[in-house]
Amino acid sequence: MIEVDGTLKSRLAVWLLVTVSALGALLLIEAYLSSQRAAERAYDSQLEAAALTIAEAVQWQEGKPVVEIPAAALQILATRHQERVFYAVLDADGKRVSANLDFPIQADWRQQVDEHPVWTDADNLGAGWRLHGREFDSAGWETQDPVQIWVGHTLAGRQALTWELFERAVTRFLVMVLVAGLLMLLAMRVALNPMRQLRQLLRQREADDMRPFDARVPEELRELAETLDTLFAHQRESRDALLRFTADASHQLKTPLAGLQSTSELALKSHQPDEWRRALVEVHDGAERTSRLASQLLSLARLRHVVDGSEMSRLDLGALLRETLFDWAGRDVAQDHDLGLAELPDTPLYIHGEPWALRELLGNLIDNALRYTPPGSMITLGLVRHGDEVELFIEDDGPGVAPEVLARLHHPFERGGRQDTHGSGLGLAIVDSIARRHDARLNVAPHTPCGLRVSLYFPLSR
Amino acid sequence: MRLLVVEDDPLIARSLNQALTPLGNTVEGFTRYAEASAALRHDRFDLILLDLGLPDGDGLTLLGELRERGDTTPVLILTARDGIDDRVRGLDLGADDYLAKPFSLAELEARVRALLRRSQQRTDNRLSLGALCFDSTSGVATLNGEALDLPRREVRLLEGLLLHAGSITPREMLENRLFGFGDVGSNALEVYISRLRKRLQGSGLRIRTFRGLGYRLEEEPR
Repeated sequence: MIEVDGTLKSRLAVWLLVTVSALGALLLIEAYLSSQRAAERAYDSQLEAAALTIAEAVQWQEGKPVVEIPAAALQILATRHQERVFYAVLDADGKRVSANLDFPIQADWRQQVDEHPVWTDADNLGAGWRLHGREFDSAGWETQDPVQIWVGHTLAGRQALTWELFERAVTRFLVMVLVAGLLMLLAMRVALNPMRQLRQLLRQREADDMRPFDARVPEELRELAETLDTLFAHQRESRDALLRFTADASHQLKTPLAGLQSTSELALKSHQPDEWRRALVEVHDGAERTSRLASQLLSLARLRHVVDGSEMSRLDLGALLRETLFDWAGRDVAQDHDLGLAELPDTPLYIHGEPWALRELLGNLIDNALRYTPPGSMITLGLVRHGDEVELFIEDDGPGVAPEVLARLHHPFERGGRQDTHGSGLGLAIVDSIARRHDARLNVAPHTPCGLRVSLYFPLSR
Repeated sequence: MRLLVVEDDPLIARSLNQALTPLGNTVEGFTRYAEASAALRHDRFDLILLDLGLPDGDGLTLLGELRERGDTTPVLILTARDGIDDRVRGLDLGADDYLAKPFSLAELEARVRALLRRSQQRTDNRLSLGALCFDSTSGVATLNGEALDLPRREVRLLEGLLLHAGSITPREMLENRLFGFGDVGSNALEVYISRLRKRLQGSGLRIRTFRGLGYRLEEEPR
């Protein structure tokens, strides 16, 4: 089940966006602050220029300062932003020589100006102001009294400049983000290109092409490509196994069919009713053998096909054994044997299994026993509990199997060295496959004093 | 006895016809779902042999239709599909028995006989096998027409065996019939079985033991 969980592109984009936004916010704050600083510096120097211009216009008449405010100074003060301006020239006593507004100059400011030029912010007339004050000595004149010059303006110009500078910074930043984003998109396309190539390679493959990959991939995709290669190798193996199995199977089917063909052909050439009868008996046996073989091949194919274990459930092995045995004991093929059930343990024994497969398993065990033992043989099935395992056994008092053959008895088409019966050698192979699906162990051992005992050890389900 | 065979393979249909006619039956055969469905709507049969994979429909649908109409004619399903699911589904839909292809004709004949016998018993309340007959309303058993004087437990045993005639009667079921649900010795039942065996000697009937499973009342092979 493939569930699409977003795209790699969107994941990369989200991370990129988060990073860019966080860094961008910091950058913008910094840009705003530095725009503000730049605007302050620019306008502060204008205030200074205005103050100096006024200072040059200060005259002394009879020891008192007189000032005619030059138009240039006012022009410097008044920026193009409809600002209100302020100037004041104070004498040494703090008396106003000239001023355009009744702006209160605080005493501590005046003291500071004694020492050095002052820049300060203040509120007046319902607006924020920036003020600059400096002191001039009347050097070269008869008095030595300094004058203080105060100039100031409202903040509109500064704010406007700050915004202007800030806007430029923002524009530069956005253009950069845009360009970086486009480059990232390009980079992603280039970086994800090997993936696209891998996809194309997979798409172009023929359904039965199981060869390993022949592709250049970056380190990150190596694991994926190797996993795919392993998968292909498994597929190749199972396809080869299937081909081998099909070849074996058709060989096995062809043998009895060839027998049928030649027998019927000979009978058709003959004119003896006795010959016909003999041939018919052979044809009948051959047909029976072939159809049994076909159904066994079908079970094996089904076992190999159904792999997900979706039909597994908790079941009472004793009940299943009883039910299957009832079915088999009543069949025609079992009438010449003594087929029976050993007494079952008192408590039900539950295992985790697939009913159809277990019936198939039991059917093959019983069928084998009936087929490979002489009429009148005693065949007994039963269950024994060993700790957290349950042993399902079937034992007979037939001729048994040579010890050297026991180990390979569960290989397909192995008939325990017997050619005298109509078996196909598939029975125990099917049993073995089913046992493995159920995590059960298969054990084939001689039964004392004679015969065979086939045991399957199933883990008990809690 | 009228038998209906719904089977599309001509070879199988012919051999079914040949095998079943000597049992004293008239056998009618259809190869298509539509024909069979029409015939079943107008005619009554004693037994239907139904193939599941028909060229123009599924035999299970036909069975479903039949049972929906309340028709209880016994149905024996014949099919090449031997998956257990199909089997369960067929029996759920009301099939009486199930035989997977390929089957031996002897097996088929035995099943047909058992089904016909069961359908007969349903109508006249009499259980019979070979020379043995049991009237379940009066509780009287007869062998070759002569009444058998049997103790109560042997009557119950005989009835139990006859109810399953032709197939294995589980041992537990017979024990419950004879002794109730209490604990009984393991060979208590065997005692009654051997008594009944003695009575049946020479009648052409025998009781076969299936170790650990149960008993079957059957006709001795000639």
